[in-house]
Amino acid sequence: MGEGTIYANPLVYIVEGAIVLFILVNIILARRGKKLFIRRIPGLASLDEAVGRATEMGRPILYAPGVHGVDIVGLQSMAILSHIITHAAKYSTRVIVTVAEPLLYTVADEVARDAYNAAGTPEQYSTDDIRYLTDRQFAWASGVVGTIHREKVATAFYFGAFFAESLILTENGQMVGAIQIAGTPQTTQIPFFLATCDYTIIGDEYFAASAYLSREPTLLGSLVGQDFGKVVMIALILIGNLYFVLDWLMPDSGVVNLMKDYFINYFQVD
Amino acid sequence: MEFFASKTGLAYWIYISASLILGGVILWALCVVPPKFRKPIVILVTFISGLYLSLEFLVQPPAGQEQNWFTRKWPDVSNVIIVIAAFALLIGTVNLLSIHGKALWKRRENWYNSLAFFIAFIAIMAAGFARDSYDGPVVQQTFNILFNGLFMPMQATMFSLIAFYIVSAAYRAFRIRTIESGLMMGAAAIIMLALVPVGTYITAWIPEDSMFAFLRLERIGYWILVLPNMAVQRAIAFGIAVGALATGLRIWLSLERGSFFEREL
Repeated sequence: MGEGTIYANPLVYIVEGAIVLFILVNIILARRGKKLFIRRIPGLASLDEAVGRATEMGRPILYAPGVHGVDIVGLQSMAILSHIITHAAKYSTRVIVTVAEPLLYTVADEVARDAYNAAGTPEQYSTDDIRYLTDRQFAWASGVVGTIHREKVATAFYFGAFFAESLILTENGQMVGAIQIAGTPQTTQIPFFLATCDYTIIGDEYFAASAYLSREPTLLGSLVGQDFGKVVMIALILIGNLYFVLDWLMPDSGVVNLMKDYFINYFQVD
Repeated sequence: MEFFASKTGLAYWIYISASLILGGVILWALCVVPPKFRKPIVILVTFISGLYLSLEFLVQPPAGQEQNWFTRKWPDVSNVIIVIAAFALLIGTVNLLSIHGKALWKRRENWYNSLAFFIAFIAIMAAGFARDSYDGPVVQQTFNILFNGLFMPMQATMFSLIAFYIVSAAYRAFRIRTIESGLMMGAAAIIMLALVPVGTYITAWIPEDSMFAFLRLERIGYWILVLPNMAVQRAIAFGIAVGALATGLRIWLSLERGSFFEREL
């Protein structure tokens, strides 16, 4: 925001409006009882198994919500944390949360308290298990690594925004023999998580996590609406490809100029 | 707007006092509001906050201007966010002091790590405040030693561990068991060779202007990175963008579900 701010153009209104409409319509349909199918996501399906492993081994669970703060990625991480704590509380398994951002720490603290209350075990909640470390990337990573080794965690969950520290965390989790499940929208970290974690959740599977775990009609409807949004994206890509092919075959033709005036020009960013 | 401009002298203290009183009144009002109204208040505040950012992007600037009203007011809004973040930093610091304080007081296992935390915390805080308050070579040098001499090298050390971890992760994980893993290994080997002088030397004998120039390793590596790799990364990015839009919409309209989002306030 500020100098050089980009504002929406008419195509943005249409495309974004269409995607938002798909999402809202599917939410309404889901709330009215329409049955929606969601495919199996192995990483999310194994969350409960990973919690069970920690319970069997009598060792705690580590949850690292990444280095970002209270944004979409962070809040989705909190939704997953809520599910994990609710499940772990049934078996009295400790969940240690290591937070890198102070605003997210306050949210994580509330989420943990509410999850333990929802599970009927408020006495398991401990402020010592929800830890704000530091907002410095590698200082946070070294704090998490220290926690992994000192607490000898049996299961480690990494859900959130990660950058260069991702490999440091997961390699140390491997050293203590922890089962590791990671999910991040950062495409650059996916290869590292794939190489070191038992399960990895890629791309928009991360944003499907809350719907997958809770199976709430509202969230499932939103997920189906998302998929329609991807259809809109595919249609736009196909139209763009068609334009470039036609431009190559018959440059300066009427059709090409029409597409350029009413479609391609709106994608130009100054 | 003059209201949000920096103040000096008596006006400075009046604004701080008034802000503290107003903040206290708002907190008290939130505490005495009946429980059934608390959730609608949270929903309303969430909606208005999200609406500001949506309108900032969607509303076109008036003719002849480069920014709309929402963009011009963004510095004031971001100052509010910074203040809230500062309070959250205080809460986080209290948590840190609490955890390490208990470990030190009760002489728990590895209590010396908590002692090191307190020493480092007090040292860097004192050095930082001294540097900002006094202008002398001793305080400047002390801060430089702690920050540039200790903190930055430690950060670089942690970063450099990644090189060794990549080797150990690759050795453990990259096994050719299927066709897909074989393809991945082949692509990885080509790109690694394409990025180093030794690799480009292997195919340097192929002339640049010949019809077989595409077989040069650096060209194959470039093609893999720029075409299939970039296409897949963009495809994932599209999915992430739509997923983020849907998640943001749910949170903005308070449609998100889960024990935290549905609890009674």
